[in-house]
Amino acid sequence: MSAQPFRLASGGLIDRGHQLDFSFDGKSYGGYAGDTLASALLANGVRLVGRSFKYHRPRGFLSAGPEEPNALVELRSGARREPNTRATVVELFAGLDAASQNRWPSLAFDLLSINRLVSPALVAGFYYKTFMWPASFWEKLYEPLIRRAAGLGRAAGAEDPDQYEKAFAFCDLLVIGGGPAGLAAALAAGRSGARVILCDEDFRLGGRLLAEKREIGGKPASEWLAATLAELESLPEVRIVPRTTVFGLYDHGIYGAVERVADHLPEPPAHQPRQRGWRIHAKRAILAAGALERPIVFAGNDRPGVMLAGAVRAYVNRHGVLPGRESVLFTAGDDGWTTARDIAAAGGKIAAIVDSRPADPARKALADKLGARLFAGGAVMGARGGRQLSGVTIRDASGVVTELSCDLLAVSNGWNPTLHLTSHQNGKPAWDETLQCFVPGSLPADLAVAGSAAGRFTLAQALEDGARLGRQAATEAGLAATASEPAPTTDPETTGLSPVWRVSGGKGKAFVDYQNDVTDKDVELAAREGFRPVEHLKRYTTLGMATDQGKTSNLSGLAIMAEQTAKTIPQTGTTTFRPPYTPVAIGALAGHHRGKEFRPVRLAPTHDWSKEQGAVFVESGPWLRAQYYPRPGEADWLTTVNREVKAVRASVGICDVSTLGKIDIQGADAAEFLERVYINGWKALPVGKARYGLMLREDGFVMDDGTTSRLGDSHFLMTTTTANAGKVMQHLEFCHQVLWPELDVRMVSVSEQWAQVAIAGPKARETLRGVVDPEYVLSNEALPYLAARSVTVGGGIQARLFRISFSGELAYELAVPADYGDAMMRALMQAGASFGITPYGTEALGVMRIEKGHVAGNELNGQTTARDLGLGRMMSSKKDFVGRLMAGRQALVEQERPALVGFRPVEPGQRLRAGAHFIGTGQQAVMENDEGYMTSVAYSPHLKHWMGLGLIKGGAARIGERVRAYDPVRNGDVVVEICSPVFVDPEGARLHG
Amino acid sequence: MAETATTSTAVSWTQHGAWADIAQAGQLGAAGPAGVTAILQGGFGLATLIATPGGAPALSGLVESRTGITLPATPTIVSGASHDAIWSGPEQWLLRAATHDGFAELLEALSVQAAVSEQSDARAAVRLSGPQIRDALAKGVMLDLHPAAFAVGDTALTSIAHIGVHLWRLTDEPDGSVFEIMVARSMVGSFWSWFAASAAEFGCQVSIDRSTGRG
Repeated sequence: MSAQPFRLASGGLIDRGHQLDFSFDGKSYGGYAGDTLASALLANGVRLVGRSFKYHRPRGFLSAGPEEPNALVELRSGARREPNTRATVVELFAGLDAASQNRWPSLAFDLLSINRLVSPALVAGFYYKTFMWPASFWEKLYEPLIRRAAGLGRAAGAEDPDQYEKAFAFCDLLVIGGGPAGLAAALAAGRSGARVILCDEDFRLGGRLLAEKREIGGKPASEWLAATLAELESLPEVRIVPRTTVFGLYDHGIYGAVERVADHLPEPPAHQPRQRGWRIHAKRAILAAGALERPIVFAGNDRPGVMLAGAVRAYVNRHGVLPGRESVLFTAGDDGWTTARDIAAAGGKIAAIVDSRPADPARKALADKLGARLFAGGAVMGARGGRQLSGVTIRDASGVVTELSCDLLAVSNGWNPTLHLTSHQNGKPAWDETLQCFVPGSLPADLAVAGSAAGRFTLAQALEDGARLGRQAATEAGLAATASEPAPTTDPETTGLSPVWRVSGGKGKAFVDYQNDVTDKDVELAAREGFRPVEHLKRYTTLGMATDQGKTSNLSGLAIMAEQTAKTIPQTGTTTFRPPYTPVAIGALAGHHRGKEFRPVRLAPTHDWSKEQGAVFVESGPWLRAQYYPRPGEADWLTTVNREVKAVRASVGICDVSTLGKIDIQGADAAEFLERVYINGWKALPVGKARYGLMLREDGFVMDDGTTSRLGDSHFLMTTTTANAGKVMQHLEFCHQVLWPELDVRMVSVSEQWAQVAIAGPKARETLRGVVDPEYVLSNEALPYLAARSVTVGGGIQARLFRISFSGELAYELAVPADYGDAMMRALMQAGASFGITPYGTEALGVMRIEKGHVAGNELNGQTTARDLGLGRMMSSKKDFVGRLMAGRQALVEQERPALVGFRPVEPGQRLRAGAHFIGTGQQAVMENDEGYMTSVAYSPHLKHWMGLGLIKGGAARIGERVRAYDPVRNGDVVVEICSPVFVDPEGARLHG
Repeated sequence: MAETATTSTAVSWTQHGAWADIAQAGQLGAAGPAGVTAILQGGFGLATLIATPGGAPALSGLVESRTGITLPATPTIVSGASHDAIWSGPEQWLLRAATHDGFAELLEALSVQAAVSEQSDARAAVRLSGPQIRDALAKGVMLDLHPAAFAVGDTALTSIAHIGVHLWRLTDEPDGSVFEIMVARSMVGSFWSWFAASAAEFGCQVSIDRSTGRG
């Protein structure tokens, strides 16, 4: 294991007794618990960690936080490989395995860096200009080439082996950020008994306190931090969630957050998700997300070794790593001097301090104390070096240029409040001329901003804001406020700043947006070419796009555009931030609902029995229904289905129909209610009888069909199709609650209560005899077609028996309480054993209903009227019903409107296809000649040829005519004869047998 | 579930309850002390009662005379010695009986004042408790179940993992809140898949109570 040559001898919030070995690009290194991948690599002297997006320039670490644009790595390997993770926030763990991105063949020797040689062609908008012609080359040639050359990390390409979760949380106060402001807020509210959730994206609470050497109440800030955390943990209603990023603010005080439950481990422990997506309902929230430091645009500002000054402090103070041997400070304000002080305190050498502000005796004295040359009123014009920084070019106040050697350039240009969440509900940030940054503008109700996120950058302000806003939130949540305590004192700090947006005159590229390789020249070009509004600037140059969303670049881009167009920054505008604040894995949003768990599956009470019988299941809406029951030796599904159909027509078969919707309708006006929702009459239906019903939507098109039975004078049981069960229930509730609240009708779904099975075939009655208790007479006289009765089975189990038929055979439907569904199937199989009783599935059901010309989902497709389906005569003229008026619209009653008929191939061997369109024989297959289409087809083992149902202009009047069934999708072109839709037993003799 | 021998055929009409082949008794997920306890319920009688227009007081009186409990007018559950009345909509309740004994007769008697629809087999019920039950439920329940927000006896019709559920809070146990959830029988497989995944990290003790549906 290599040593850690850049690790300080002491200090930092790392556990030096706990070494963690890891690898980067295949090479092994050591770090400590408490490191990030970035701090551990820096400790080992690794500074080159990636190649840039477009020019493949070598890149290192710019920051120490979530804003990192450069140091994106592929984390882990195999199916767990995750691209574009920011090394600056990746918590180090033993065995961590990371790789650099966007380089080939290796990071140090990258062939694609040849892009730099053609870089003049790769300026803003280059792909719009260069790759315009010929158009066909874009998809096949240009785009694949660009994608290979310019890109980020690679997705794993394998299914993610880990679990994810979604969860919901509620609180009086959500505190976003666990720095001094957030902790003070949580404490103030928590002391009042408020339900507080505090989320922090870091694995360690404290925010900037971890990166700074500060004092609170005259003692090291770490003591305040420890005491505050201890007190928060003692409060039962305060929940602290580290490793959790609040990424979005949505309507009604709902926040999205992602908790990285196990990202800091090689793989999640058993029963733990990798990540958990939170939806947090907060009565109030305090944004205490701190601030992000701003770089300066100058030539070579992307050389590995050029870092944000605050990040350097974080590495020195938090991680015990001094990222360079010889440092230069380039600062536009007081904050950079703090970095100089901390580097010196850690024993680092400071070659020079370049302060953009005019000379000042106090600063001169401080520079002398630090042993550094001071360039007051100066600027760093350029940074040089290849894979790492080797020196800088400094221009002093008088214009004299000096070259200095260094391996670390710390840049300080002030901070931007992390106000992203304040604009997620369309809030526009406001420019603060004094602070020279955007601060939160109008805020959503119930959101307050504390500390640096509000542009109140000092520690004292953070503590004061947090305590005040935390108390206020508790009061607003209706809790008694605790006594207001004065915010603790802090050591003095100054925040003088005169930002430098760009230093001109250097040689080479000066980057505005590191992640997208956008330079100051690109912004100038956009201005010249008229892409001046910020939204145009963004899209033309890609400034502010990709995984970092311009956290370090937006303001520089705006400032340069402002300079180009002679406007102020606020006149130039700002881009609006949208969720998410940082990238969120799709898995955390999907949670449990992936693969087969995408949505719930509904299983019939006979499901286990069907499975036992070897059924193949088919998805039917949310249900899994038995499609067919193959037997050994059957070559294909058609063989199986033919056997099932023949068995039913020859003897007896059973098929689960539990999935149909069942609605219990009661009340004095139940019959009247049915009169109004169905097109046909119901008042005359006797008790103990079932009737086929058809209902329309308000627009006159068919909504659903089914049988409804009268169980008592004021008691009906409606059945619906499987697919429309929910929709019909909703429709009936609407009709009752909104249209006719005066009717005494009460309804509830009983679909789940009953297991129901169709028993069909000439032997159905004899089979049933073995199941229904003997006191119930089943003869044709006692139980005629469409009878509906209560019976008992199995010696007293309540059941319902309906003599209805979808197959056209003598058939019944028997319903028992769902717990007995399984037993019912077994009892029927035994009772019908001597008849060769055959379970059949939805395929055979479909064949038999087509043979009988019954409509189903393919015909009830929302575009057909009762008339289209040959059911126009059912529409009662003696009453009003939903859809009556609209069904009479001229277009819906035109003679030419396609209507339902049957079709059979003229050559019996030919296969028909649903979806084929009808065209007159000898006519061209063009839209003008389209006469309708085939809705359902099946092979009839009874007729021994294919048959179809379809809608054709003229309908039944054309029976006997021949047309083409044209199916260009499957190269089908079959001449068919129009026939009656009833193919089998048109007299219905079997039904009444 | 109880077996009922039959007289009319040779086949035994064995009940196949909603939880059959879905969940088993035992420890689920993490080993050690269980953070969550689940008792799968069975054997209860259940029916939807919908009052006649304006007839809710009379119905409540009738229910009270037969079972000793009144029908709640707000989304709550009222429990008696052998029955629960669970609000499930305006003027609509679920009436649950601990056993099927006498249930059919009770429903018959109530049908003069209400539309009565038996639902005994339509729902799967599970009683949930343990120190971490709220953490487990937070992974699917979109309601605030904090004791201050969801009181003992409160009920809600909501959804979990895209599945409609009816849930309520029962009297606390020493280690925290107790909930009961009813879910449509056909979706209990998907429900349990979600629940098992959500409770796994806390360890879940699963048992089966065939004798009673009461928490």
